[in-house]
This record gives sequence, structure tokens and C-alpha cells, in this order.
Amino acid sequence: MLVMRRRAGESILIGEDIEIQIIHIGESRIKIGITAPKSVPVSTKEVKLVGQENLAAAQLRSVAALRNLLDRLIEGPTGGEK
Amino acid sequence: MATTQTTPLRRCETRYFGPVDYDEQSVMLFPDGIPAFEQEQRFLALRQPINEPLVFLQSLANPNLCFATLPALSACPGYQLSMAPEDLDALRLETGRQPVIGRDVLCLAILSLEENAPPTVNLLAPIVVNLRTLCGRQAIQTDSLYSHREALPLREAACS
Repeated sequence: MLVMRRRAGESILIGEDIEIQIIHIGESRIKIGITAPKSVPVSTKEVKLVGQENLAAAQLRSVAALRNLLDRLIEGPTGGEK
Repeated sequence: MATTQTTPLRRCETRYFGPVDYDEQSVMLFPDGIPAFEQEQRFLALRQPINEPLVFLQSLANPNLCFATLPALSACPGYQLSMAPEDLDALRLETGRQPVIGRDVLCLAILSLEENAPPTVNLLAPIVVNLRTLCGRQAIQTDSLYSHREALPLREAACS
């Protein structure tokens, strides 16, 4: 992985037509501006992860398997402590 | 806008339960769809006493698309939302505080049941629906307290 140090207001260029600008650096989050051609999809990694998880979840075949699962669900707040 | 006028029921096909009658006013609208299903904007929340506490999210446009979900608080007692300001704004919720589950919003965790793997729920990105407007979205949480594959609190399976 290429690692670069940048300050707020500075940019990184990727190829000819993608620019990533550091807009604001907060305490725990940074704000980034991305300029890219419409043909380049831009999303957070979490969105992709969640999309994959949604696709997998949509494959459930029957409710019967779920009912079996439900019978084993521990009810009440005792079992779910993290 | 809420109205006391009764509207005729409509009928839709569902993935697991055959045809179901529903009231147009109970339709939940997801203007951006959800990740990987961006075109699916209208869902029904189907509940059945026999399948409590499961809630099925049935797409109205696609009868074959139905998510099994658990209320986040059933899947994880004490579950806490940490929604991004953009998500709060998109759902027209107060941006200064987190919404209260059950009072301000419905909060559902999508179940994933893959073969030969323990069932998991997606607590990283719950389905959040504004109870006042029935407008919803899948809101990726801003801290990493929870995973997209959180194990369910299950008793040991009875082996036979």
C-alpha cells in the first residue's frame, strides 16, 4: 500500500482524472472530496460489504430453517450481553 | 399525510407467504433502496404471531425479494444506534441526537443464514425506518461497536 502524508486542503491525484482532496481534519473523522468521472463508482467500503451481505441474506430458501433457529433464540437480556 | 379515511386493501405476492393484502399507508419507502438493491424502494414489514419476533421485509416490486430480520433489540439487548448525520437528515430525524428505537424509529437487523455456518445478524447496518413518515434506509453505523456478521445469542443446538 502506498502511504502519503497530506494536510487539510491538499490533494492526491490518481491517474489523469481522479482527484482526492482532504477538506477537513476533525478529531476522529476526516472529510474528503472526490472528483472522478461518472463511470467510476465511488462508495465507502462498508457500503460494498453491506451490499454483499444483503445479497447473501436474500438467498434464504425457507422460513422453516428460520423457525428452527428461533426456537434456539435465547430470550431476554441475559443471553445477549456483549 | 395521515388520514383516517380507509383505503381499499391492495394485494401483493410474497416470497414466503403467498398473496398478502396490505394497506397502502403501511408501505415503507426507501428512496435510495438498500446496498445491492438500489432499485427496490417499497417494502412491507410482515409479522406473524407464529414467527415472532421475526419481521419480514417484503419488496413490493419484486415478490421474490424478502429479507428476514430481527428487531435490533431482540438480536442484541441494549443495542445502541450511532447514525451518521447524513442518515438522520435523510430520514428527517433530529440531527442533534440519536433516535429512540421503538419511539422514533423501527430498527431491524437483517438475518443471514448460510449453510454450515452459524446464523448472523447485520448490526453494523440496521434497517432504520422513521415511524412518523415510514421512510427508511439501511444506516451504516458510524462507530464499529457492532459487526455486519454479529452472532445471535443462541442456546446450544441439540445434536442428534
